[in-house]
Amino acid sequence: MAHENSSGVLSYARLVTVARISNLTVRYGNFTALDDLSCEIPEGCTGLLGPNGAGKTTLLKTILGFVNPTSGEGTVMGKDIRTDGMAIRQLIGLMPEQDCHIPGMTAVGFVSYAGELSGMPPADALRRAHEVLEYCGLGEARYRNVETYSTGMKQRIKLAQALVHGPKLLLLDEPTNGLDPRGREEMLDLVRSVSHGRGVNVIVSSHLLPDIERVCDRVIVVIKGKLRTAGTIKDLKKLAGQPADVELREPSLAFSNLLMDKGLTVAPPKGNVYRVQSELPPEELLRVVQRAAIESGAQVRGFETAVRTLEEVFLEALTS
Amino acid sequence: MSNIKPIADLSYRNYDGPLKKPGSRWWVIAKNGIRIALKKKALWGLMFVSAWYYLVMLVVLFFVNQVTASNPAGAQAMKAFMERLVWPDQFLHGFSYAQLPMLIIALMLGAGSIANDNRANAMLVYLSKPCDKREYLFGKWIGIALPIFVIMVVPTIIFYGYGALTFREYGFLKDAWLLPKMLAIIPIAAIFHASIVVGISSMFNQARNASATYAGIYFITNFFTLLMGGIWASSRGETPFPVKHLFYASIDGVLIGVCKAIIGTKGSAPFGIQSPGGVSQVPAPNIAAILGIALLISVVFVLIAWRKIRAVEVIG
Repeated sequence: MAHENSSGVLSYARLVTVARISNLTVRYGNFTALDDLSCEIPEGCTGLLGPNGAGKTTLLKTILGFVNPTSGEGTVMGKDIRTDGMAIRQLIGLMPEQDCHIPGMTAVGFVSYAGELSGMPPADALRRAHEVLEYCGLGEARYRNVETYSTGMKQRIKLAQALVHGPKLLLLDEPTNGLDPRGREEMLDLVRSVSHGRGVNVIVSSHLLPDIERVCDRVIVVIKGKLRTAGTIKDLKKLAGQPADVELREPSLAFSNLLMDKGLTVAPPKGNVYRVQSELPPEELLRVVQRAAIESGAQVRGFETAVRTLEEVFLEALTS
Repeated sequence: MSNIKPIADLSYRNYDGPLKKPGSRWWVIAKNGIRIALKKKALWGLMFVSAWYYLVMLVVLFFVNQVTASNPAGAQAMKAFMERLVWPDQFLHGFSYAQLPMLIIALMLGAGSIANDNRANAMLVYLSKPCDKREYLFGKWIGIALPIFVIMVVPTIIFYGYGALTFREYGFLKDAWLLPKMLAIIPIAAIFHASIVVGISSMFNQARNASATYAGIYFITNFFTLLMGGIWASSRGETPFPVKHLFYASIDGVLIGVCKAIIGTKGSAPFGIQSPGGVSQVPAPNIAAILGIALLISVVFVLIAWRKIRAVEVIG
């Protein structure tokens, strides 16, 4: 769970920090792209959310060492973003949003060349290119010129070239861009599998909240260059006071009146679902609900802790 | 028991092998450029075309040598022919006549070197790796300059070797520094072509646009050089002061000027033939001035490329 440390930086208990950004400000002329932003990106898979122009691009460019911050500091894998750009890029794999390839090359040539550019010996790069292309589902098409690839295949080859040198941190920008539903599912499966239990940390920048929810464990929301919220998706979706959603077979006024008589707050039902708020622990709340159901003759179909959708979390961050 | 077994582990595995430190990526880029160039069959043909003067001279000298060796009466004719031949000028001709094929080779090697990367957003691949723009540009530049150097130096050395072994008694080795001088001139030509083509390529995202631009600059300025040469020749050197300098105001002109200035000759008619009507050659330019101009042009185009190559928008 995320909490603020003594310096006001959001951090995560028990997790190794992949990137640490402290009071980072980046200005392009008079425009402030990042405004005193501080955050820690822990190991695992993190989603980077924000509307266009929020500063996501600049944050990733800064992590890659392309942009010199106006003030503040940061480290990626323990390397200083101001001075160790090359060392950082050796540990990072980038899958850009735009189509990109080296013209005139086959897939295996392209990926092994990307490996050599990352510092791999040629023989290792070639062997690894075959492995990674197989993993990304391009084994059969590895000797085809990349320029003849479909959009889905181009997305996969971008992932392959980012993975070839075994990066410790993978930056994925809109990995499902232009993919059909099946391709999208397959790409998300790939991202999820590489980011869980394989020792590869992933930052996914995407506008698609379902994609983020599917593959990421936590999110960072950046708006107008400032960190608006960060934490595990599970924690962010929790509602204050831990209300419960109680689903009845059919709406029952007696049931809600009984709960209110017991001092609980009951929101107007949405269909057959009542949102019940109380200070009680969940087990005690369940017992109270069961008693009220028995007394009112209502039939309980479901009981679960109420959560928000990630979209609601994002919209709240956007409007707060 | 099922016969279907996985034949390989296709799951993702981390790479724990060696990774070279940043600083040597330029050679990876240069090697790739050279590898792609060597696959072009036309390049091999152009290599022979660029050496045509040396090849023809080798054949001529071989037959002259053979005929006179078997026919003592021909010795007198051989002596007269050899007296007309100015050996350093043969290298000047070999170098000069290689320039047009060298332009085409430079275009084949370099017009698309950065332009194609611009088109395919390849800069995102390069610059997101531990490879900065210095290494990228140097790698692209070496990938053009090195093949041009090799293509020019091989026929020069072969011709020199044949001459040194066969025509010593005819004054071939009179200038002991001739080979070192040529070995100094050829890298300058390679650097000059590579710098210009890299600079022009960086301005476009289509190789054909870069090719057309460099070829346009080459032919327009070369027409000017030919015009100045014509004025000089027709006036037998009695021309206003700027003409002999403006003769060198072209891609070809600069390189021919460098060659003349370093070898220390003003040139003569090719193949040892008599100059028709005693046409005078444009004298060699000042060595410091022409080298300065070649260096300045090279630096300007490299700086253009330097400004154009950027760590472009990485995340949209």
